[in-house]
Amino acid sequence: MTPTQPTLTATNLTKIIGDKTIVENVSFELQQGEIFGFLGPNGAGKTTTIRMLVGLIRPTAGRVTICGFDQRRQFEDAMRCVGCIVENPDLYRFMTGRENLEHFARMLRVSRSEIERVAELVSLAHRLDQRVGTYSLGMRQRLGIAQALLGDPKLLILDEPANGLDPAGIREIRELLRRLASERQMSIFISSHLLAEIELTCDRVAIIHKGRILREGTVRELISSRREMELRVDDVARASAIATEHNLPFRTDTDRIWIAMEEPDAPPFIAALVQSGVNVFHAQRRTQSLEDMFLEATGGETVD
Amino acid sequence: MIIPLVQNETLKILRRKRFAVVAAILFAIIALVTYSQYRRLREQRNRNWRAEIQQQVASMQNTLRRGRINETWARSMRAEINRLQFYLDHDIEPNKPTAPIFVRTFANVAGFLLLPLLVGILGSDIVSAENAEGTDKLLLTRPVRRWKVLTAKLITLWTFATLTLITGAVLAYSVSAPFLPRGGWTAPTFTGFSVARGALQIDAVRQLPLWKDTLIAYGLEWFALLTVACIALLLSVLFKSSAAAIGTMLASLIGGTILTRISPDWTAGKYLFVSALPLADYYTGEPPPYDGMSMLFCIGLLGAWAIVATAISFVVFTRRDVFG
Repeated sequence: MTPTQPTLTATNLTKIIGDKTIVENVSFELQQGEIFGFLGPNGAGKTTTIRMLVGLIRPTAGRVTICGFDQRRQFEDAMRCVGCIVENPDLYRFMTGRENLEHFARMLRVSRSEIERVAELVSLAHRLDQRVGTYSLGMRQRLGIAQALLGDPKLLILDEPANGLDPAGIREIRELLRRLASERQMSIFISSHLLAEIELTCDRVAIIHKGRILREGTVRELISSRREMELRVDDVARASAIATEHNLPFRTDTDRIWIAMEEPDAPPFIAALVQSGVNVFHAQRRTQSLEDMFLEATGGETVD
Repeated sequence: MIIPLVQNETLKILRRKRFAVVAAILFAIIALVTYSQYRRLREQRNRNWRAEIQQQVASMQNTLRRGRINETWARSMRAEINRLQFYLDHDIEPNKPTAPIFVRTFANVAGFLLLPLLVGILGSDIVSAENAEGTDKLLLTRPVRRWKVLTAKLITLWTFATLTLITGAVLAYSVSAPFLPRGGWTAPTFTGFSVARGALQIDAVRQLPLWKDTLIAYGLEWFALLTVACIALLLSVLFKSSAAAIGTMLASLIGGTILTRISPDWTAGKYLFVSALPLADYYTGEPPPYDGMSMLFCIGLLGAWAIVATAISFVVFTRRDVFG
């Protein structure tokens, strides 16, 4: 594999069932060592797209290439490069964590030492000999990720990996994924309906809505730029005037003003307000919600 | 490459405790029947078997004379009378309970419903449970083609169908041996009775030592169970819920059996797999429910059902979209 070859390429993926188009012309690429976020509300076609990526669903049109292998025609070669969790981390509940990992290790023909390694990575080694039926959702999520890491794949596909994890667990998994991407040059595909999660974890993001990709770009371009500052002030009119002077877009209500700006611009602006006698009671950065973003991108169509 | 997959499937069946349930059911039923046989043995000690059989024959002849039963029943009754008469004529005591005869009889008694049901229970959730529990999403996204996964499941199912039959035979002997006479594997048996135009045909009757006769009966039963396994696999592929798959399996076994008994006029019924299932019975001499069902026909029919069911299973399983 040459360094320039993308780890995952989806080309014009389309899935039509009956007369309903579930996914339409979805294309994207994942480079080595890149964490790619697939963002969209529930029902946008994220899971259907993931099922097509891993061969569970046959696309009506389009193709998937993994590590240079055609996923349909060279299924075994392609899938040897992939570890994945589709939807929920459903493992065999009537078997122990270790038996589950052994089950999948046998399918991959990897050695038993792999099991210890991946269990260590997701901090699950101490519960490995208990039945999965006794695990919490967070632990099953960890076991699912451990299973996906068996055989050291080049591509990791994770569907809503933050589901069921507590905040500490989410941070731990996020750090693990970042480490895998930077140290092992793993490419990671993450789907989520949580803007904040994608923003913190991913390098690049595609936004999917009603089966189509609306936007694609770096996290900075797509999400960070959509942040604003919320200020509670005693004189909204004067604050608005100052925002206009600074060439900053804004909106207001009776005692608040929201100004679109980057973080470094905030202190000088607040200083300017204070200098002109506006009292600032409260200042807070606010991320534009996913819903706002969709409203904007779809021109007022609501998220369903 | 297929061996690790078979290992996986075997582990799953064992961990689901499916086979433990099957063995427990077999043990319970065999223990019960052994007890009744044991009682019969004790009562028989002071009995005259000739008189008893003569009475059985007389009572059946009475029923026939009254003529209120349908033609199928009448036909099988006439055959049974002729069979019993054969034992009287040759002075052989039939059905004297011994452990070997118990093992031999088990093939017939359990073969037409119990064993197929148990194999149905084992097989019906082998694919549908993966679907219901969501584990198919992992199973089918590993670098193993779908046909290999299904082949491993079929091999595992055949293995457990075979084990079910062997377990049945071993339990039948080991549970009954402490209570019934243990010897008699070499006792002569008579098979090959057949009915043509209402008369017993004894030209084809062969005398075999019991052990040989038992092996043949179990061999036929084994073939029938492999067919049932293929059909269970198909139902398991077609149904998303294990309960629906098991339910359909039970309904077709029981419904088919009832159908062959009540509507013998509907001759298309002979193409149902259930009609051909009691191979061991037909081998012993029980007349099949429809005309023109020779042993060869039955074996061919079961083979055809197995091949078609397996082919559909593979086509559907390898091509279908896996949704949540």
